[in-house]
Amino acid sequence: MNRSVLIVGGIITAALVAVLYFALGNDPQHIDSPLVGAVAPDFRLKAVGSGEAVDLSRYRGKPVVLNFWATWCHPCWDEHPVLTENAQMMGDRVQFVGVVFQDDEKKITDFLQQRGWAYPTLVDDRGKTAIAYGVGGVPETFFLDKHGTIVAKFDGPMSTEILQENLQKAMR
Amino acid sequence: MKKLIPILFLALLASAQMKAPDAEQFVGSPKGTPLTGDALDQRSHEIAGLLRCPVCQGLAIADSPSEMAINMKGQVRELLSRGFTEEQILAYFERSYGQFVLLKPKFRGVNSLVWTLPIFALLIGAMLVVLKIRKLEAPAGEGAGAPQSDDYVARVRDLVNK
Repeated sequence: MNRSVLIVGGIITAALVAVLYFALGNDPQHIDSPLVGAVAPDFRLKAVGSGEAVDLSRYRGKPVVLNFWATWCHPCWDEHPVLTENAQMMGDRVQFVGVVFQDDEKKITDFLQQRGWAYPTLVDDRGKTAIAYGVGGVPETFFLDKHGTIVAKFDGPMSTEILQENLQKAMR
Repeated sequence: MKKLIPILFLALLASAQMKAPDAEQFVGSPKGTPLTGDALDQRSHEIAGLLRCPVCQGLAIADSPSEMAINMKGQVRELLSRGFTEEQILAYFERSYGQFVLLKPKFRGVNSLVWTLPIFALLIGAMLVVLKIRKLEAPAGEGAGAPQSDDYVARVRDLVNK
């Protein structure tokens, strides 16, 4: 066989194998957030239950765990006890905030009354806040440091270990 | 009914106070002309065709029936109606989702390979074809087979002369 054909074929095959090797290990739904390292987009959203307008900026000065979720999302059901337990455990040292999008307020209230309510849950009208945060699917959680900078993002339901690991970055 | 009026008033007041993050704080003031009517419909559809639906498999938000895509289309439409340009709208979505959201990758970094590699492969292919054609067109004696050694030629001559 012609030597040049062998070399070119070898290079193309090696490139394809490399692409497959790196691509197969990745979750196709995972999006690396370009917002990590940037100041979290500010918002003022309505709190479920009280109807009070809550500004994200009011929590400046302490780390924030910002969790996007919805009642129709089953992994969010699994994650909910982890979030409420950690919110109760961390007390005033960390502020947990839930943002619910593509959902109905009545369903959210029922869900929280049944499964526990440990921190403010806000309603994202027409998903505008979720879009500003680059949310692709729920649950997704952003970890903000005391200056309001996003230091980490996690896609999918979190265990206590994952939550604490990311929270440490926000508490530094 | 009388009891409902203050509740409705409070609900209206609360919704007026709500504020989602605004594109203007990230991409600056609108640089274009606010669109309405058919022009707004057409441009909304065109720009929605350039943005990838984050919850779908390779679909543009223009073609996706998912609620996420519907919300994103709504936002594109709203931004166009406020006078934001295509460039500003794409920059706004890219800021949140990264280059993943752009269905037409930018000529930048690793993405530039998407544009350059096919041209590079085409050039190499063309070079190989030209080389092969030249080789086929060369006279049969020229370069075909290695020149024989003098000993071998002398031996053949001896045999022929005998």
